[in-house]
Amino acid sequence: MSEAIRMYPGAGPDERTTFDAYSAFDVPADLRELHGRYDVETTARRVRNFRYAHEWMMMIGGGWVATIPELPVKTGLGKIVWDDAQSADQLGRRLPELRCGKRSVTTSEAANEGFAALVQEVAEPESPDLTIEKITGMFDVLKPHLLAVYDRMGRETDQISDAPTIEILDDVVRRTRKHIAWGDEVLGRLCDTEARRERRGKRAQEMRTKLEACGGVTGTITDESFGAH
Amino acid sequence: MKRFINHEELARDSRFVRQDSAMVTILAQVPDDVDTLVELLDKLTPMIEKSVQGTEAAPLFEAYGPAFMLVTLNEPLNPDDPALDSRLRQRFHGIFAGELQALEGAGRSLWDFPDAPWEFKMNMARQCWDETRHVQIFEKLLDHVGGWVGMYPESSFLFECACSDDPAMRVAGVNRGLEGLACDVFRDMIRYAEKVGDEKMRQAIDYVLADELTHVRFGSDWVREFTKDDPEYLERTQEFRRSVDKQFSLGGARSNREDAAIPIAWEDRKDAGFTEEELQELVELSGGGPSRETMREAARILLERHRARSQEAGA
Repeated sequence: MSEAIRMYPGAGPDERTTFDAYSAFDVPADLRELHGRYDVETTARRVRNFRYAHEWMMMIGGGWVATIPELPVKTGLGKIVWDDAQSADQLGRRLPELRCGKRSVTTSEAANEGFAALVQEVAEPESPDLTIEKITGMFDVLKPHLLAVYDRMGRETDQISDAPTIEILDDVVRRTRKHIAWGDEVLGRLCDTEARRERRGKRAQEMRTKLEACGGVTGTITDESFGAH
Repeated sequence: MKRFINHEELARDSRFVRQDSAMVTILAQVPDDVDTLVELLDKLTPMIEKSVQGTEAAPLFEAYGPAFMLVTLNEPLNPDDPALDSRLRQRFHGIFAGELQALEGAGRSLWDFPDAPWEFKMNMARQCWDETRHVQIFEKLLDHVGGWVGMYPESSFLFECACSDDPAMRVAGVNRGLEGLACDVFRDMIRYAEKVGDEKMRQAIDYVLADELTHVRFGSDWVREFTKDDPEYLERTQEFRRSVDKQFSLGGARSNREDAAIPIAWEDRKDAGFTEEELQELVELSGGGPSRETMREAARILLERHRARSQEAGA
């Protein structure tokens, strides 16, 4: 019977194993570097800001379903409501991992009063003849802004230490890209006259101005992309 | 955007025609008496005639009279029935409209109750997607049986009856009343699809029924949660659900009576969390109202009156 192979090395030179220092993880070498732009507290605050946006987009979409006459827009929104709920839920589940406490999973926080007011402005159009204004505010302005912010954060946060946030943002970005493409298609169909295209442009400009004035979802206008669409 | 909307504010494209829901309310209240039913429905004749104009219900109105719904929609689906195609299309159109209103009800629950617990919002958001798929499924099934959106008038009575301004009553009305009715209707449709060997219809509706059980469970859980430690609030909520169930029994067309068009889906409802006690209660409250024979006789008299009036007007 052969001597049992030692699985874990001891302290003495004769107790070393004979295995080479080589593993699949070294091929190719991990080129990621430690240190990102955001510390734990900052990331937690940003995640609460992001969650605020998705929780409100979910509620606004839910409210709009009954006020939009175009059937495919109604049903399209029904799915987007669920997507935004999942995004808010995933972001919330990250919060206890960022030292925010067990109860933080349902915490949303507007970066400032300006952003909270902007979200209410997005929700404002109610009448059934305002589908263009509804879809433009959320899908031409707010979601493209969020996409730009998430994309940038995914690149600038610590790639190893904050990888769980990156994974969540990857999911949210994937959904958000689909939503923007859907909104663009809907608006392309609805805005079939110059007057309607003007309505879309006017609404987008108004919302972008307010978004920039409040500093966007994180309230940090100077260093966030505004994702002009 | 304001909170709490009226059923008349539900937005529809130009294909849809709105119908007053007075007949449903009347059916929930009338006894099993031909004369009473005739007198009540006779007053609605002008309104019904107006609402069917320009839709596929107009020929039914001419053939069966003002109470055509009593003798078309409220009859069981029988493959040998010469009027089967019309009954099927009416039923699918009604279900399609019901799913649309369920989608709108779930969506409004997100907007109307912004301070509700997160898990409630997650459940309602999920229901939005489910109802969206149901709308898409029944639009396709309507096409499958030769129908199209807008071919019959839409009554918004489901939203009207179920969408209370109180969160516990909203979920009791939408998730237990409306979705419970959906369980009954879908089990009946699955039986019909099996009978005629329509696998496309059977499979699609079986998936929808599975979703509805989940929605009823949402309702059961949230009624319990919203009313915990408040027996008086629970009782008011249960009373609201009973009134919704009574309205949704369509005068006994949905009941466990022998002549019911849509029997109560007992096992499915138990799977969804209804208790034996609640089901017994449903049997009792849905079993009243006019019998099928009463409805047929009332419809016959109303048809005669309508024809006499038309002749008079023509002369």
